[in-house]
Amino acid sequence: MSKKVGPSRRAMLSVGLAGAATVASPGILRLTAKAENAPIKIGMPLALTGALGSVGQQLKRGAELYAKLQNAKGGILGRPIELLIEDTAGNPANCVRKAQEMVERQNCRLFTGITLSSEALAVVPKLAEWDAVFMSSDNGDGRLTAESFVPNFFRANISGPMGTRAVSLYLRSGKAQKFYALGLDYAWGHNSVQVFEDEVKKSKKDFLGKVFAPTGTKDYSSYITKIRQSGADAVFLVLQGDDNNAFLSQSQQYRLSEKVRLLTEIVDLASIRAVGDAALGLIGSSRYSFTYDYPLNNEFVALWKKEHDGAVPDTFEGEQWQAMKVLEAGITKAGGIEAAKLRPALEDIEIESVKGKVHIRKCDHQGVQQGFMVEVVKQEGIATPIPKVIATFPGESTTPKCNSMTFDD
Amino acid sequence: MRAVTRPILIVVMLALLLAPLGLPPFAMTLLTEALILGLFAMSLDLMVGYTRLISFGHAAAYGMGAYACGWMLLHTGMPLLFAVFAAALLTGVIAIAVGWMCTLATGISFSMLTLAFAQLLYAISFKWTSVTGGSDGLAGIPRTSGPLGFAALSGKSGFYYFVLACLVGGFLVCFALVRSPFGAVLRGIRENEAKTTALGYNTRLYKIAVVATSYALGGLAGALYAPFAGFANTELLFWLLSGQALIMVIVGGAGTLVGPILGAAFFMLMEHQLSSLTEAWALYFGLIFIAFVLFAPQGIWGLATAWLRRDAKAS
Repeated sequence: MSKKVGPSRRAMLSVGLAGAATVASPGILRLTAKAENAPIKIGMPLALTGALGSVGQQLKRGAELYAKLQNAKGGILGRPIELLIEDTAGNPANCVRKAQEMVERQNCRLFTGITLSSEALAVVPKLAEWDAVFMSSDNGDGRLTAESFVPNFFRANISGPMGTRAVSLYLRSGKAQKFYALGLDYAWGHNSVQVFEDEVKKSKKDFLGKVFAPTGTKDYSSYITKIRQSGADAVFLVLQGDDNNAFLSQSQQYRLSEKVRLLTEIVDLASIRAVGDAALGLIGSSRYSFTYDYPLNNEFVALWKKEHDGAVPDTFEGEQWQAMKVLEAGITKAGGIEAAKLRPALEDIEIESVKGKVHIRKCDHQGVQQGFMVEVVKQEGIATPIPKVIATFPGESTTPKCNSMTFDD
Repeated sequence: MRAVTRPILIVVMLALLLAPLGLPPFAMTLLTEALILGLFAMSLDLMVGYTRLISFGHAAAYGMGAYACGWMLLHTGMPLLFAVFAAALLTGVIAIAVGWMCTLATGISFSMLTLAFAQLLYAISFKWTSVTGGSDGLAGIPRTSGPLGFAALSGKSGFYYFVLACLVGGFLVCFALVRSPFGAVLRGIRENEAKTTALGYNTRLYKIAVVATSYALGGLAGALYAPFAGFANTELLFWLLSGQALIMVIVGGAGTLVGPILGAAFFMLMEHQLSSLTEAWALYFGLIFIAFVLFAPQGIWGLATAWLRRDAKAS
């Protein structure tokens, strides 16, 4: 009558053990190594999938080649480099969680390659708590070195405002008078378009209007119609990844480039490969181009070709390479990776890189470097069009004032 | 059945209470997030499992809670404790209007209306930049401790216990609700709404009430997430999250309250671990979901209780 109906002790025990094992499993994997020659862990929570997956993949390849070659030379300070690469699918929530995991489980204190600006903006407020340094290699959002700036953030890459500035400097001497802008509807798109609008107005030309498309837009026909109807001579594009490909392919179908000059903040090889001849004639700034004729770049391109069956490095592969070089110089100078030592070491550091001199200025940790303008052209012997460097501008003229996104002249 | 599950729940509760003493930091982070998602999934279970109101837009509750709490913490200096509950309350109040509107329809039309409402909020979050921060969302949300000695809440363990208390509180509210006469009417609506109406109940009012309660608890989960992650962005309002919440409920076991909490923890851990192993993690998770729907429609909790009952009988 009073027979117990509850579960047996065995069942309880196994449930308890299973539960304990589940919650404790991350702890089992925790590494606490802190030896002198322990690996230098560099966390890369990247958008390897999703609309900006192609950018994340480039960042991954750039870092991997650097780590491979540097490790073959004995690493940095005699410590091997270990990359912790994880996919965030471009979602800031995943990015913060993965980064937190790298800090808490793997004792990682260095980050690079965080792909989307929205992800970077979610991560930077946490850097102080994590005691970690984040070296941006692709984040374009100007605010990261302006109002959202935190001391543990550094940017080795060309930012959105810097790219836009190169375009506007180039246009000052051009014939086009009336401009329209199309940007992706997120941080980077908005502030690059804003900088462009200011620059156009400053040079006493007409800014006719702007429109923003959500990331992942497949059909750009209504945007193309708006651009055509605006009566602009040129349209400034702040698009990336799949969106850029979709726009360029459709604009070719609509023959947009016959009426309106296509300018872009960023010319990317991956897009050119994806859309082929639809990219021909596109003029824009480039954060990195393999065609830039400079000894260190030629050396890097040769290395890349050797490792990748003759393929040339793309924009973010070059940018990531440069970011790793800046980080390496900082770590070497600091003699370690602790934020308290590395931060002052990186401030005011100057290195020779694939794009020439890069100087990380102390006031907002932005890497001052030359700006490039390229045009997408056909070259004999190469099947797909290539971005040819048509103008360069000194870093002093393309980098905004300290802690801001605006320019003096 | 209760005799089987009650000791288990007590053991789990004790383990959760002691967790901060023994778990490494990242396991605590994962556990805290799992509990928040558990609360979110459980709130949906009130609608899906008990009333068969299938919502395709439950992310609206989560996102609204997160944005409201994040905004208050960023701009008003309100202490965490108040901001979280105020955000949940606000979500619940707004949900009365949502419930009123959505319950004009039934079945799939109801689901589509919930989806439409969530997508509307998603669009607003993009455009109302001055409040929502547009596509960047709100970043750097602090855990303001406030003047009344709630400083512990801003720490890792303190925040964990706060989340745990909210989950347990939410569970007790739901548990009491589904066992009350109110809950009996909800089950009546689930099984046969026409008959329940014929018995003299104004079923629409009950449905509006359950939508508001469910959204308030979902809003509570979102309000906890904002200070937990330190940011709130548009993804929290996106339909993908609504779909994931339904998956959590179904995989965990709909109509059980405990099941969806387990489903949420399972989903989060699987997503986290699978995405470390392969870029095609979504594919594998899809297969796991299909397997559950085909072979274990009663979900994880259904499997666990069946197994425990069998084991109890055998011994």
